[in-house]
Amino acid sequence: MALPATDTSIGSRGRGGHRARFSAETAVTLGLSLLVTLLVILPLIAVAIGAATEAQGLSARPFLAVLGATRIIGNTVLVGTGTTLLAVGLGGLLALALARINTPGRTLLAQLVTIPLYVTPLLTAIAWSWLGSPHGGLINLLCRRLLGIESLVNLQSAGGIVFVAGLAYVPLPFLLIGAALRGMDPSLEESARIHGASTSTALRLVTLPLVLPAVLGSALLVLVQAMGLFSVPAVLGKPDGFDVAGTEIYRLLNTSPTRVSQAAAWGLLLLAVTAALIWAQSRFLSRRSYVTVTGKAFRPRTLEIGWARHGLALVAWLYVGAAVLLPVATLVWAALVNFITIDVKLMAFDLRHFRYVLFEYPKTYLAMENSLMLGAAAATCATALGLGIGWVIVRTRSRLRGYLDQVSMFPLAMPSMVLALGLLWVYVRASLLPIYGTIWILLIAHVTHYLPFGVRAGSGALRQLHRELEDAARMTGASWGKTIRWITVPLTRPTLVAAWTLLFILSMQEVSSSILLYTSRTTVLSVAVFDLWEAGNVNALAALSVIQLAITFLALSVLIRTRHREVLA
Amino acid sequence: MSGDFLRVEGLTVRYGPIAAVAGVDLSASKGEHVTLLGPSGCGKTTTLRAIAGLERPSAGRIAVEGAPLFDAARGLDTPPEKRGFSMVFQSYAIWPHMTVSENVGFGFRARGIGREKARPAIERALALVDLADYADRPASQLSGGQQQRVALARAIAYETKVVLLDEPLSNLDAQLRIAMRAELGELRRGLGFTAIYVTHDQEEAFALSDRIVVMRAGRVEQESTPAELHQAPRTRFVASFLGMKNILEAEIRPLSGGDGLAEARLAAEIVLRARDPHANGAAAGAAAIGFRPVDVRLDAGTAGAGTAGVVTRSLFLGDIAQYHIRSGPIEICAHDRPRAELTEGALVSWRVDPEKCLVLRE
Repeated sequence: MALPATDTSIGSRGRGGHRARFSAETAVTLGLSLLVTLLVILPLIAVAIGAATEAQGLSARPFLAVLGATRIIGNTVLVGTGTTLLAVGLGGLLALALARINTPGRTLLAQLVTIPLYVTPLLTAIAWSWLGSPHGGLINLLCRRLLGIESLVNLQSAGGIVFVAGLAYVPLPFLLIGAALRGMDPSLEESARIHGASTSTALRLVTLPLVLPAVLGSALLVLVQAMGLFSVPAVLGKPDGFDVAGTEIYRLLNTSPTRVSQAAAWGLLLLAVTAALIWAQSRFLSRRSYVTVTGKAFRPRTLEIGWARHGLALVAWLYVGAAVLLPVATLVWAALVNFITIDVKLMAFDLRHFRYVLFEYPKTYLAMENSLMLGAAAATCATALGLGIGWVIVRTRSRLRGYLDQVSMFPLAMPSMVLALGLLWVYVRASLLPIYGTIWILLIAHVTHYLPFGVRAGSGALRQLHRELEDAARMTGASWGKTIRWITVPLTRPTLVAAWTLLFILSMQEVSSSILLYTSRTTVLSVAVFDLWEAGNVNALAALSVIQLAITFLALSVLIRTRHREVLA
Repeated sequence: MSGDFLRVEGLTVRYGPIAAVAGVDLSASKGEHVTLLGPSGCGKTTTLRAIAGLERPSAGRIAVEGAPLFDAARGLDTPPEKRGFSMVFQSYAIWPHMTVSENVGFGFRARGIGREKARPAIERALALVDLADYADRPASQLSGGQQQRVALARAIAYETKVVLLDEPLSNLDAQLRIAMRAELGELRRGLGFTAIYVTHDQEEAFALSDRIVVMRAGRVEQESTPAELHQAPRTRFVASFLGMKNILEAEIRPLSGGDGLAEARLAAEIVLRARDPHANGAAAGAAAIGFRPVDVRLDAGTAGAGTAGVVTRSLFLGDIAQYHIRSGPIEICAHDRPRAELTEGALVSWRVDPEKCLVLRE
């Protein structure tokens, strides 16, 4: 009716031969599947091949050498399980206290408790090493002076590593278990009460079993990360020669002659353990039904408890203090003080360390530039890929959608050091692309590592966007590309911005894969901090980490303002 | 029909092993309003979305004016934006990040037609749905009824010959629904587009359609004009979906004479005369009769002609009363003017004009 239809007659279009196989959606689905395979599967295969080959061909020697290193395996298991128990125990307690109990100040505390997610454990480990080393540690020095006790704490130990890593990983179980607690129908608990159970019995017999999947899921996530942990044991274990798998991989690759195969064998061992744990978890959970957790939004009933709520608030504040406030305060103090001492008369405060880091230390600008660029690029790529993969998963009936859904979650189960090992093998040994020594290999590592977050955010946003909004655009003449550009992206922007900011922060903080993949031209902030720590330049290190934290908290304030915290869970 | 404008043949849509649509044939001539009617889950919306190109069928052909848009056998699948259809969605699908006129003018923007060139068409479309004053409002600030109008304006703004409508009125309240129904009918007659319309509301289907296609479990159950459908539902399913309350098992025997009259033997030796509008020779598969409560004639006492029964329940509904009557194992429902003598327990005789008593197939 409106405009003369010159080229719009339906007849002329149909004969154009729009072959089903070559529609835009099909091309996107195939392209993304190929890309995800290259990003995720290829490094996995490379680690397996790498572990089984030496210069002269196939060999079981690297793997046997790894299995023979029982001390390191024992240390890794100790750190892994200890960290997991502490993180899940404390995270679960805090989730219960802040989601379901009338703990004073719980709204603010629920925000503060998640902050360690955005602060790399490298920084907290360094701060705690200054506070808790057996001889020069500030806590011990103070104790000696004030109480006359020789040595109160020793964080340069297995216990210290578990303490710092456990605190760092508390937010993951806190968020996952908290979401499960909030998503649970309170009438399940109420019916237990009506049938004669006391508050605590109902909690024990109904609530806790129902959040079991979240408890186990978060335990698995923490365990995978903790077994592949590098930064905390590198800082706190090194003085006493306490080695774990992560530090061993680093040592094998950074001492001459490098033993890449043996490093890959460590990676393979970690992957095998992870795979076994995931299998065991799915077997265990499949025996019962947990469908009562519907994901529907309920108003959770708050349990009113007496004086114990103040105890819970104290625990939460102690956690925030130990995981964030004290380490950050220590770093800021160390960045401003002339040298580390407990003698107030000797302390002098100025900006000389910042001046040194900003104007004299040669790596700062390069590292900062690389980090910002890498963070922005990795966040952009992971968010865009996440939206694309999420779209295929949520909107299409493609046979590849299950593959994409599963494989894009794999990196959650891959310690980032193992991922980096695989990339080294693919791009250095096999020279698939000449990108070693460039920022590209770091970008590939970061995008792969953070892909699960991007996909969760993308598919979550699309599930909330009625598909008819997109269909309407197609029916009004827009191609697939225009529909994504003009309808999907603008309408999911809040979630995408939140996801981007989160990934930017995480990428800026990443240590474990960057430390294996950087070269002098492609150093990043976290690596520069680690370098300064290895060189013993503590005050400059403090100044640089304060700058890194400042960038993080600036980005974090953007994230909080967009108020899309669900992308975290 | 030789003048078929839109033609759908053997359309099949599978979700895994389940066929949501199983071999549907449809056609619409130019300017015709064809309604797909059926209960939820019958495949009507999937059929519409497959015609639109939003679902990919596994078999079948779709063509407009003889030009194929989809042909499974040849691997031809024209994307939705190139089929030249437009669509009104159940959720309206108004884009909240655009103004009313941006929503309505989207089709022009998508096809690279400039704002100035598109303006007269957008204004005309908005005027047709009485939203001329709302052009610059953000679409998110509209009421449900206004969003419905924007969706309609968007569907007709760009020249389109076929408008697909997926339960467009089901989210409106009852009064608004009736008003919009009238407007929609007028708009279509005025602009002369072909409409394929999906609904589960028989009244809506009767009021708007030139032709109604009743669907059941992914297949076409019956296709006819609204009046025909009302007078002569072919199957037990259609009759019950259209609210024919009295459906009784019967043994059908065609009566000689060939005018479609048949004898229906019910339980307990009750025999009724019925009409079989779809008879062609034998009454194959016919196993029931159906009639509407208003077509039942009631006489007090058992002296009158017809079947004897007893009133088991009488409900006063105002202008009419509803009587439940039992005759042996059979229970029927009748509507009549309220009559004082038909109290519960009263003896009656009931009969149905053979013209109004229909033979139904499975």
